[in-house]
Amino acid sequence: MILETLSNVVLIIGLFFVFLAMLGLARLPDVYNRLHTTTKIGTLGAFGVMLSILLKVGFSPMGVKALTVALFILVTSPVAAHMISRAAHRHGVGLCKESVIDEYGRACSAACPEPEEE
Amino acid sequence: MSLMLLEYALIFMVIAIIPCIYRIIKGPTIPDRVVALDAMTTVIVVMLGIYSFVKGSVFFMDVALVIAIITFIGTVTVAKYLDEGVVF
Amino acid sequence: MKRYIAYSALLGLVWCFVHGTISVNNFLLGAIIASLIIRPFRSMLNFDMEFHAGNALKKIPAQLTYLFVLIKEIIKANIIVAKIVLQPKINIKPGIIAVPIRTKTDLGITAIANTITLTPGTLTIDVSDDKSILYVHTIDATDPEGVARSIKDDLEKYVLEAFE
Repeated sequence: MILETLSNVVLIIGLFFVFLAMLGLARLPDVYNRLHTTTKIGTLGAFGVMLSILLKVGFSPMGVKALTVALFILVTSPVAAHMISRAAHRHGVGLCKESVIDEYGRACSAACPEPEEE
Repeated sequence: MSLMLLEYALIFMVIAIIPCIYRIIKGPTIPDRVVALDAMTTVIVVMLGIYSFVKGSVFFMDVALVIAIITFIGTVTVAKYLDEGVVF
Repeated sequence: MKRYIAYSALLGLVWCFVHGTISVNNFLLGAIIASLIIRPFRSMLNFDMEFHAGNALKKIPAQLTYLFVLIKEIIKANIIVAKIVLQPKINIKPGIIAVPIRTKTDLGITAIANTITLTPGTLTIDVSDDKSILYVHTIDATDPEGVARSIKDDLEKYVLEAFE
């Protein structure tokens, strides 16, 4: 009984965080800030929902597979975020106008100054 | 009570897909759209997990795992293509 | 050769988790199939390197401490970003800063990059060519030295203990 209540609480927290991640995806200004929400909040939301299914069914095949999906999302989501943010920066997507500092762009243009001259 | 909660959870997740579709259609650049697709797949994986519990069938969890793997590989592939112009 | 057996056992455990039932028969089947599968990739995974089971076991308490710190930081990060998303008018000052790191091995750099991505307000973008500087996008870039110091003091200590 107490396990079921705990599982329902974790489920509601996870669903709320997933919804918040999608809201941030629509509201924040540029690619890098959107990656913040989908990487951090979306990952924890999916992890919470899968953990609640594990709490509901115990270590049956369904629970173990839910744990596998949760761990897989937790491991691969930062790697995907790193790949897509580096590709975006090299592709030429600039930062939003509120940004205050960009040391990576400075380092890139110091290493290969040809595109700056043209 | 628990089953009712899970069915409402499915409806809530369908509502959560709407901002993703807005971002996919409107997004000014290609990386925006890739990020939105990635986020939409997270929502779909969550929906498949809940649906698997509601229906009492293990096989939807396999589908969720395969979709997670394919999305990761797809995101890395598009990132490499944008970065270098070639995939391999 | 020891390293070959260790990788096979690890992949056997992964097979158990994917299959859904954790038992001895499943584990043996997974380990046998895995040993056949990783045989073509011998040159990539350098099996000839020395492998000491004692060293791997000695690091487990440090890795558990690291896991505990990681969970705490993830929950803190979620609350911070959730507050930003729920503001009626979004008021942020993002930017990309350079953070020097002390970690040298590839596994350590991967671990600290993923840890930075999952912790409050920061997102790893790239590592420099000589593997000494990480470029980090942060959501509040008004104080670059403070961010670099917090990464160095709070996270890198545990990563160095757990993976070096």
